[in-house]
Amino acid sequence: MDTGGTFTDFVAVDKAGRCRIHKRPSTPDDPARAVLEGLDHLLGDSESAEITYGSTVATNAVLERKGARVVVLTTAGFEDLIEIGRQQRPDIYSLTPRKPVPLVPRARRVGVAERLLFDGTVATALTDAELVRVGQGLAKLRADSVAICFLHSYAEPLHERVLAEALRAQGYSVSVSHELIAEYREYERLSTTVLNAYVAPLMERHLARLAARTGGHRLRVLQSSGGAISVETASREAVRTLLSGPAGGVVGAVQSAARIGESRLLTLDMGGTSTDVSLIDRVVPRHTEWAIDRLPVKIPAIDIHTVGAGGGSIARVDAGGALKVGPDSAGANPGPACYGRGVLPTVTDADVVLGRLVPDAFLGGAMSIDTERAKRAVADLAAKLDMDVVGAAEGIVRVVNAGMERAMRAISVERGWDPREFALVSFGGAAGMHACELAESLEMRKVLVPLNPGVLSAWGALRAEVERSYVQTVRQIDPHVAALDTIAASMRRRARREIRVEARVGKIETSTTADVRYRGQSYELEVPLSRQLRRDFEKAHERLYGYSDEQRSIEVVNLRVVGSIARRPVVDRVPERAAARSAIHRLYWGGRWVEAKHMVRPSLSSRRCAGPIVVTEVSATTMVPPGWTVRAAASGDLLIERKTSRGK
Amino acid sequence: MIVGGRKAKPLVGIDPITLEVFNHKLSAIAEEMGVVLCRSAFSPNIKERRDYSCALFDANGEMVAQAAHIPVHLGSTPMSVRAALARHDLGAGDVVLLNDPFEGGTHLPDITVVAPVYVGTRRIGYTANRAHHSDVGGMSPGSMPLAREIYQEGLRLPPVKIVRGGVVEEDLLAMFLANTRVADERLGDLYAQLAALRVGAERLAQLVERDGRLRVSAAMQALQGYSEKLMAEGLRELPRGVFTAEDYLDGDGFGRESIRIVVTIRTKGGRVEVDFAGTDAQVEGGVNANEAVTLAAVYYVFRCLSSIDIPPNAGMMRPIAVRAPAGSVVNASFPAAVAAGNVETSQRIVDVLYRALSHAVPGRVPAASSGTMNNLALGGFDAARSRQFSYYETIAGGAGASAEGHGESAVQTHMTNPMNTPIEALEAELPLRVVRYRVRRGSGGAGAHRGGDGVDREIEITSPASVTILSERRAYRPYGLGGEPGKAGRNQLTLPNGRKQLVPAKISLQIEAGTKLRILTPGGGGWRR
Repeated sequence: MDTGGTFTDFVAVDKAGRCRIHKRPSTPDDPARAVLEGLDHLLGDSESAEITYGSTVATNAVLERKGARVVVLTTAGFEDLIEIGRQQRPDIYSLTPRKPVPLVPRARRVGVAERLLFDGTVATALTDAELVRVGQGLAKLRADSVAICFLHSYAEPLHERVLAEALRAQGYSVSVSHELIAEYREYERLSTTVLNAYVAPLMERHLARLAARTGGHRLRVLQSSGGAISVETASREAVRTLLSGPAGGVVGAVQSAARIGESRLLTLDMGGTSTDVSLIDRVVPRHTEWAIDRLPVKIPAIDIHTVGAGGGSIARVDAGGALKVGPDSAGANPGPACYGRGVLPTVTDADVVLGRLVPDAFLGGAMSIDTERAKRAVADLAAKLDMDVVGAAEGIVRVVNAGMERAMRAISVERGWDPREFALVSFGGAAGMHACELAESLEMRKVLVPLNPGVLSAWGALRAEVERSYVQTVRQIDPHVAALDTIAASMRRRARREIRVEARVGKIETSTTADVRYRGQSYELEVPLSRQLRRDFEKAHERLYGYSDEQRSIEVVNLRVVGSIARRPVVDRVPERAAARSAIHRLYWGGRWVEAKHMVRPSLSSRRCAGPIVVTEVSATTMVPPGWTVRAAASGDLLIERKTSRGK
Repeated sequence: MIVGGRKAKPLVGIDPITLEVFNHKLSAIAEEMGVVLCRSAFSPNIKERRDYSCALFDANGEMVAQAAHIPVHLGSTPMSVRAALARHDLGAGDVVLLNDPFEGGTHLPDITVVAPVYVGTRRIGYTANRAHHSDVGGMSPGSMPLAREIYQEGLRLPPVKIVRGGVVEEDLLAMFLANTRVADERLGDLYAQLAALRVGAERLAQLVERDGRLRVSAAMQALQGYSEKLMAEGLRELPRGVFTAEDYLDGDGFGRESIRIVVTIRTKGGRVEVDFAGTDAQVEGGVNANEAVTLAAVYYVFRCLSSIDIPPNAGMMRPIAVRAPAGSVVNASFPAAVAAGNVETSQRIVDVLYRALSHAVPGRVPAASSGTMNNLALGGFDAARSRQFSYYETIAGGAGASAEGHGESAVQTHMTNPMNTPIEALEAELPLRVVRYRVRRGSGGAGAHRGGDGVDREIEITSPASVTILSERRAYRPYGLGGEPGKAGRNQLTLPNGRKQLVPAKISLQIEAGTKLRILTPGGGGWRR
C-alpha cells in the first residue's frame, strides 16, 4: 500500500502471482480509514497476508506541524541549539530571512547539568540529584514525548542511557539520540531525535489501530531507505518512515528492471507537482543528507533528486520575457485546464495539444479530457509569446524537459556516471509522455515502462526487504581495517539480534561500509569496509571530483551496518494479452503533425513496433516517438529502444 | 569611479523558450563547479562556511552565470577576470591566480583562479572561481589581522599564471605555499579550485559542441539582456527621487572612532545611481572596503529588493551606476589594510543603503540587522595534539524586523551566510571547549514587530593562543525603523583565575590556557510601535 496526497494505492499478489490493483481517494482527516477500507476490499476474508505499508502519517504530521508536545533535554548551556541550527538562512536574497520554526518552543527546552568530551571522558557527571530535578521539571511541562540529545553521546552513551531509563520507568515515551544515530554533528542528531519524538506517539496510535484490525496479517512499514520494519519498530522509531512514499517507487523500479536483466538505471517518476529522479548502479543509493521542511534528518534515505515541476505545473511568461514552467502548480483543484475547471496552461495541457494524451483513453476513459479547453489555455500563452498554439505547447514541453534533464545530469554526468550505460525507468502518471525525449537528450538508448506504472510505489513496497541500519562515529586517521572491523563486528551482532525480532525466518545478510574523506575535508564518501578501503575511496573521489592524492591521510569518520532479510520471491503472472489493434492518432512531432498509432498496452507483444505510437493504459500514457521501437518483454514490462541505424 | 549605468540592449535571435532552456544549462554548469569545489576542499571557510563562488564568462569577459552562496561574491568576480585579461593573453591550458585587492581581488584570503575555455583554436569564454582560504600568511593566523597596511595582512598575488599550457608552475606554487601557515591545506584547496575550473570548461565546451558556438554565444547575450530587463523592472517599482542616509562604523581598532558612511540614491525609472560622496576617507585599520566589496553590497541590496529571481550576470548590474570616491573607506586605495572591509564594512554599506531606501519604500525594507560578522580568529600551538592550530569563525546575530513580522533570531544576515562548525567537530580537532551557545534573549529591539535576538556564545581555549576579534555594532546600535534599536554586542574574557574583563570590538591579544571568551552578538532593530 502507498498513501499519497490524493490517492491511496493498493497492489495485492496471490500465491499464483496474480496481481490485483485498487486505487481509492485518500482520507487525510483519518488516514487509517482509506487504508482499512482498501484492505477490506482487496483481502476480504483471505487468510494471512504480508502487508507492507508506505505511510505518510509521519510526513504529514511534520509538514502540518501536528505532532506531539515534545520536551527536549540537552546539555545545559545548549538548550537553544534546536533554534540556532546551523545559523544559516535558506534564501540569501530574502528581505526577511526565516529559518524553519523549531518543533519545540523555548519553554519546553530543558538543560541538564552534565558534560562529556569528544573522547567520551566525563567532564561533568550526571548526578542522581539532577535526575530527580529533571524528572520533577518534566511533570510540570506536560510532555507527550521526550527527546534526549547530549553533546558527544555518540562517543559515550552513558548519560543519555541513564536518563532515558529513569524517564521510561516513569512512563514517558523517550527518543534518545545515540539509539537512533550514534553519529557526530550535534544539530543534525538533535534534529533527528526531536523529529522522532514529534512523530512517534502519533505513528504508534495509528499503527496500533491498523494492527488491531489486521490481526491475521503481518503488517510492516516501509522506511525512507526502501527497507521494511515491523509495526513495533516503526512506532518507536517513526522518523525512519518520513520518506517512504518515493522509496517504494525506486524499489519497484529496481525490482521490475531486474526481471529483464537491467541493473543500471535512471528512474523518472513524474507526478502532478514534482518529479523525482534517481540513479542506481546495481545497488540502491542511500544518503543521510536530507531534510523535511528544512529540518535535517540523518536517517538513511534513498538518494532521490526532486524537481518542482510535473504535469500540473503552470506555464507563464515572466517580466524579463522568458517562458517559465512551475513551481506554481494547478494541483488537484482546479487541475490542468483540460480537466475542465482550470484556465491556466499546464504541462498536461501542452501534452494534450500535441496529441501525446489520447482524450478518450485517459484513466481508462473514467475521466474526460477537454481538448478545446486545453487549446484555449495554451492559446492565451501563445499570444504573449507571439507564436501559434502548437509552438507554445512545444515550448512548454521543452522548458519542463530542460528542468528534468538538468536534474538527470546532476545525478549522473555530474557524479561521474555516463548515462549512456544506463536504462531509463519511467513511471508515475506523466513520465511516459516525456521519457523518450529525455533519454534522447542524454543519449540513452533504452526506456523501460514497468507493469502498472501508476501504482509502482505500492508494488515496490511489497517487494521491500526487511532491513535495519546502524551507524557509529569512529573518526580514525589512516586506520587498520582490522581494528575497524572489531567495532563493525559488534554492530553486526546488534543488527542480527534486532533483525531477528523483525522476522523470525529468512537468512540474514549484513553489509558494512565506511564514510571516508581525506583528513581535513568535511564531506565523506561511503565505500565498502574492506582491505581495499583506500583504493575504493580514491577511485570514488577521482570519479566525483576529478582527482585523488595518494600522499594524503584518509580519515574514516563513520561505520555503517545494514542488516536485511530478502523476501520470498514472487513471480508475477503476466496479464492477459489483448488482441492487437490500433487506431490512427495525430501527434505533433519535430515541428509537424504526423500520423501515429494509438495502441492499448495489453495489445503489445514481443514484436517490435516502430514509433510514432501512443500507448495508453489505465494509470499512464507513453509516447514512442519516431526513431524508437516498443515491445513487451516476457515479463509484461514495456521496452522502448532507440533505433541504432540513425543518430537521432 | 563610475561603474554600470549603460542602456538596455534588445534581445536578439533567442526566443523565450530557448532563453529559459539556456538559463538552465548555463547556471547548472556554474553550480556543478561549486559542488566540486565545496566537496573536495579542505578550508573550513570553503566547505562549511561556503565562502566561495563559481562563474562563467562570455568571450568578452562578461559574466553570464554565477553560483554563489554568500552575497559578498556577487559582482566581484568580473573584476578578477578583467584584471587577469589586462595582464595576460590566455592560451589553452593557462590558469591565472590572484588575490590582490587592488588588482581584481577582495581581501587577501580570497584567492581567485581564472581560465579561458577553448573549442579548437577559438576562445569561447572563461571560467573563474574564488574561495576564502584559511591562511595566506601575514602577521596573524587566519590572515584576518588587525593591521595598518596590506603588507601585514598576508601574501599579495597580482594576476600570475599558475598553470601554463596545462603544466603547473611549480616554482611559483612552492613560493606561494612557503608563505602560508598550513601549506598542505592550501595545496588541497587549490587543487579543488582547479578541478572546478576544469569541470566548468569541459561542460561549456560540450554545450558549444552540441548547440553550436553562435547559438550559445547568442544565448549568453540574451541571458544578460534578460537579467538587465528584470533588474530594470524591479527598479521601476521604486518612486523617483533622491534618498539619502548615513550610519557609522564604531572604529578602526587604532583609535579612530565613528567612521561615517553616507549614500545618496537617485532613482530614475528603470535605472538607479548610488553615490557615496561625503563618506569618510580611508583609515589606518583594516575596515577599508575596496571597490569590489562595495559593488557587491550594492548589487545585493537591489537584488533583494527585486521580487523576481534574477540570474546573476553582467546584465543584472547594468542598470545600477555606482560612484564611490577613490581613497574613501568604501573605495580604498593602495596600500590600505582591507581585511575587515569585506566582512564588516560591507555590512554597514548594506545598512546605509536600506536606511536610504526606507525613505523611498517604507513598507518594504527591514530595520537594521546585527550589522557585523563577529569575526573570531584563534591560533597557536596545541600541546595536547602537538601541532599548530588555526581557527576562524563568524557568529550570527539578530535580523531586523519588518512590516512582515519579527526579525529572525540567531541567523546570518546580509553579506554573509556561513554555517557554524559543529561543536562536536570543533572540540575533537582543536583545543577548544564550547561553554555555552544560546540565543541572547531580549537583545532584539522592541517594536510592533521585534528585532531578532543575537547569540550568546562562550568558548574556553585550553591552550595558550593568540586571539583576534574583529567586530562592530559595539557602540553604534542596529537601527530600528520606528521601533527601538537592537542591543549592542559585547566581548568579554574570563581569565583562568576567574576574573572577568570587557575587551574592545577590535583587538589582537595573547591569552593563557583556560581563558574563556564570551561574545554576545547584536540583536536586530525593531519595527514601528
